[in-house]
Amino acid sequence: MSNKKYSMKLLIFVFALVIFFTSCEKVIELDLSTADAKLVIEGNITNQAGPYFVKLTKTLPFDQPSIYPGVAGATITISDNTGVKDTLVYTDKGIYLTTTLQGIVGRTYTLKVVSEGKTYEAKSTMPAFVPLDTIRISSFTFGGQEQKFLIPVYTDPKELGNNYNFRLIVNDTLDKSYITWNDNTNNGVPNQRPLGRSDSNFKTGDDVFLEMQCVDLSAFNYYFTLAELANGGAGGGITPSNPPNNISGGALGLFSAHTSQVKEIKIP
Amino acid sequence: MMQKMKTNFLLLLLIALGSTSLVAQEKFTVSGTIKDKKTGETLIGASVQLKNFLNVGAVTNEYGFYSLQIPNGKQEVIFSYLGYNTIVAKLELLKSTVFDVSMDDSVVLDEVVISAERQDDNLTKPEMGVEKLNMSDIAKIPVLFGEKDVLKTIQLLPGIKSIGEGSSGFSVRGGATDQNLILLDEAPVYNASHLLGFFSTFNSDAIKDATIIKGNSPAQYGGRLSSVLDVKMKEGNNKDYSVSGGLGLISSKVSIEGPIQEGKSSFFISGRRTYADVFLKLTEDFKDSKLYFYDLNAKANYRINEKNRVFLSGYFGRDVLGLGDSFGINWGNATGTLRWNSILNEKLFSNTSLIYSNYDYNISLSSGESDFNINSNIKDYNIKQDFSYFANPTNSIRFGFQAIHHTITPSSFSGTVNSNEPQVGRQAWENAIYFNNVYKPSDKWSIDYGVRASGYIILGGDTYNIYDKGVRTESITLASGEVGKTYYTIEPRLTLNYRLSNTKSIKAGYARNSQHLHLLSNSTGSNPTDQWIGNSYNIKPELADQISLGYSQNFEDNQYEFGVETYYKAMQNQVDFKDGADLQTSPDVESELLFGQGRAYGLEMIIKKKSGKFTGWLSYTLSKTERKIDGINDNNWYNARQDRTHDVSIVGTYTLNKKWSLSGVFVYNTGNAVTFPTGKYNLNGNTIYQYSSRNADRMPANHRLDISATYDFKKKGKYESSLNFGVYNIYGRENAFTITFRDNELDPTKTEALQTSLFRWVPSVSYNFKF
Repeated sequence: MSNKKYSMKLLIFVFALVIFFTSCEKVIELDLSTADAKLVIEGNITNQAGPYFVKLTKTLPFDQPSIYPGVAGATITISDNTGVKDTLVYTDKGIYLTTTLQGIVGRTYTLKVVSEGKTYEAKSTMPAFVPLDTIRISSFTFGGQEQKFLIPVYTDPKELGNNYNFRLIVNDTLDKSYITWNDNTNNGVPNQRPLGRSDSNFKTGDDVFLEMQCVDLSAFNYYFTLAELANGGAGGGITPSNPPNNISGGALGLFSAHTSQVKEIKIP
Repeated sequence: MMQKMKTNFLLLLLIALGSTSLVAQEKFTVSGTIKDKKTGETLIGASVQLKNFLNVGAVTNEYGFYSLQIPNGKQEVIFSYLGYNTIVAKLELLKSTVFDVSMDDSVVLDEVVISAERQDDNLTKPEMGVEKLNMSDIAKIPVLFGEKDVLKTIQLLPGIKSIGEGSSGFSVRGGATDQNLILLDEAPVYNASHLLGFFSTFNSDAIKDATIIKGNSPAQYGGRLSSVLDVKMKEGNNKDYSVSGGLGLISSKVSIEGPIQEGKSSFFISGRRTYADVFLKLTEDFKDSKLYFYDLNAKANYRINEKNRVFLSGYFGRDVLGLGDSFGINWGNATGTLRWNSILNEKLFSNTSLIYSNYDYNISLSSGESDFNINSNIKDYNIKQDFSYFANPTNSIRFGFQAIHHTITPSSFSGTVNSNEPQVGRQAWENAIYFNNVYKPSDKWSIDYGVRASGYIILGGDTYNIYDKGVRTESITLASGEVGKTYYTIEPRLTLNYRLSNTKSIKAGYARNSQHLHLLSNSTGSNPTDQWIGNSYNIKPELADQISLGYSQNFEDNQYEFGVETYYKAMQNQVDFKDGADLQTSPDVESELLFGQGRAYGLEMIIKKKSGKFTGWLSYTLSKTERKIDGINDNNWYNARQDRTHDVSIVGTYTLNKKWSLSGVFVYNTGNAVTFPTGKYNLNGNTIYQYSSRNADRMPANHRLDISATYDFKKKGKYESSLNFGVYNIYGRENAFTITFRDNELDPTKTEALQTSLFRWVPSVSYNFKF
């Protein structure tokens, strides 16, 4: 969430509160059309120790239970620009594991998937590691309630082009927020940007794990589009689309080589 | 009947004798200004006609000026204006003469006798897609929160659609919201909305007249593809002081007007402010919050002498929201217009305007240890010279030029912790020359033709990048004072009107419009932080070619008016965005843009009842709007966001008696074109939706009924007052504002669609007074 979007959200929030309009929400039945099932590739290489996995699943119609079928029988290799090549081994539920590969900052990884007669390829470069020094809590009072935010404390490197993606796990549950930003604003300075939960506030005693990832541009674009979509659906917000990804051959999903660092904090 | 026969006979005679007979006769010109008798306000669009030559006529221009050549001998000249008593003057000119007219509107309902010559304007004028709003019509129509609003009322007319419920943003014949030229006393208003679009910047108490032209505008207007909304502020009463105002649930307003020199010059000041924040102050929890908007309209005019008059008008409006010291956002427009009207001779009228226009927004965030600000603005200096030349009874010519200097500063970040270079304002000239003629060769034909040539000149002081599919291929740095790329467009226009009979006419028109400024908005709502951008090395002027055909017929002595128009519009160089475009923080937003074309076509119908106890209209629009953008939807045509198949509005006001009147509005429309998921998948633990064709789905249809009742209190001396009650969406229809998709909270293997509706049974009450 960039500063600006953060302020727009607040703006809308204030407005909604004050105009006391009789806004109402309800779950509705929609007759949605269904596209043919497509292959989904999820692949992450990090600077942490392996093994890493690539997960192959298929899309499902909207109204079916979200139990995604794994795709077995594929041939998957990951190689880097120094000549290292790893052939992944199938385990279960569409998950394939690396055997020897170790993610290293600065290297470019190429993923190759051959599944059901089709070939898919993706490339991702692991960006420089930016250390997450600590997490601060910031807060302000709104409507008599204290609203808490986390500020990941790190210093953005001088060169332009750093992209960050954050994942929040609150009390053992992955938060649905997409928090991603780059250094188009505030390049080369200590971070001041706060982050928060997708649709609720931090409470005293919450156990929070914050993962900071330094991602490459294609992963940033992917997450940024998802974040934009999360800000409003049909009727409001932007026109939805599949986020642009780095996989050729027409598969959905993302292959991302990124650095990863996790810090834990208990909300005071 | 006799009258008609006589006219026809005279015409036949004229034709038989040849036009030389008219030329041979010595002719003089009568010219002057038509005003309201009580207030001295000039009347726009009042008609002047000769009783014996019905094809000889003139219409007052924006400043109430008319000029008409009349043949020798005694002539009866008819001055008429809707809602005013018609004046018939017997004139025998011995030389060209100035004849000013003051008209009286003290007509009593049911006894209205208005000459037919005026009431069938819709049949005689070579105008297409033109709708004029009478401010007294707007007064009684129910609206959200009881804030009567020009922008919301025009959305009830055919071909003009609201972009979302309760929104002041509108789309004309498939155009985007930025393709409407919104003028307030000639000054462009760049963001005509308050509070995320739920209110417009036009305080209806300050407005004299509003006209919307859907594409076929005369050549003096230009710069936007879809429409011109020309709003004129009141000039003020030059006879007497008066105060008027209103108290409403959301806002209150007050206006003061009066003479500067009695009968010659006047002033008008009007202010409006919301006061939700006054109540917030009373609460413990929100006492530090700020939330309000205000509008201030001011105008003064001064008559130098018989032939020269100057006007000074200004508008200032701003929205302010804030939470203590931690967060604040404010945005607003400021416009100023200095005009000089000069009657150079009885046939030539000149208007010179100097116009200033500014829109800006500021966001400030403060977290105790650091401050952060974002701001952006667009600023114009504009000079316009317009001549009206009333050459002879059959030709009225307009010509002139306009030069606008734009400074456009995109989002610029500043603050205690910030390393970004501040954005510089991009400068450009947007210039135009034009010529337009309304030619009436006979009482059957009238032809309006003209051409506008415009140029957009990029001025130096910034670096312009050239992109090919989002990849930078070249970079051009223009030094300050250097002239960069220039775009020229030629925009011809033609409207033909043929009167089939006394009650029927057909019309046909073609117009090309161009647009050099573009609003970057990737959300459907109206957002104060949406930015304007000018033409550049990537962005070319948008072009639209529109052809339209129309038929009008009046019934029952012009009490009922029926009109139908069809149009086809082709648009080039439309601006859109990449999937996942970052329009806010991207160092060069041009890298995020995509370009393509658009097309729109449709059929519009309206039936109006203009007089009697019951007045109102029924309007229906059938339309289609599509776009084809390189890089979107696999380069195939897709429904534009504003595409809606059916739009119906029914508006009615019934006057029960001298005290009570009732009004209602019913609207029905097809849902907007949207993109719903066609599947789902999971990535890194989150559910993600899969999308296929763009905008291939529809929101559910919208409909609602709004009603209001007005009670007019007995007039006590000068004091007039009325009370208005209303309910918006009286049957509580849950119209979908947004539909979002999410995991079911209890069962994460289920996904569900969530509909949010905004306004149901919203009551309003307002009290209006005048003394």
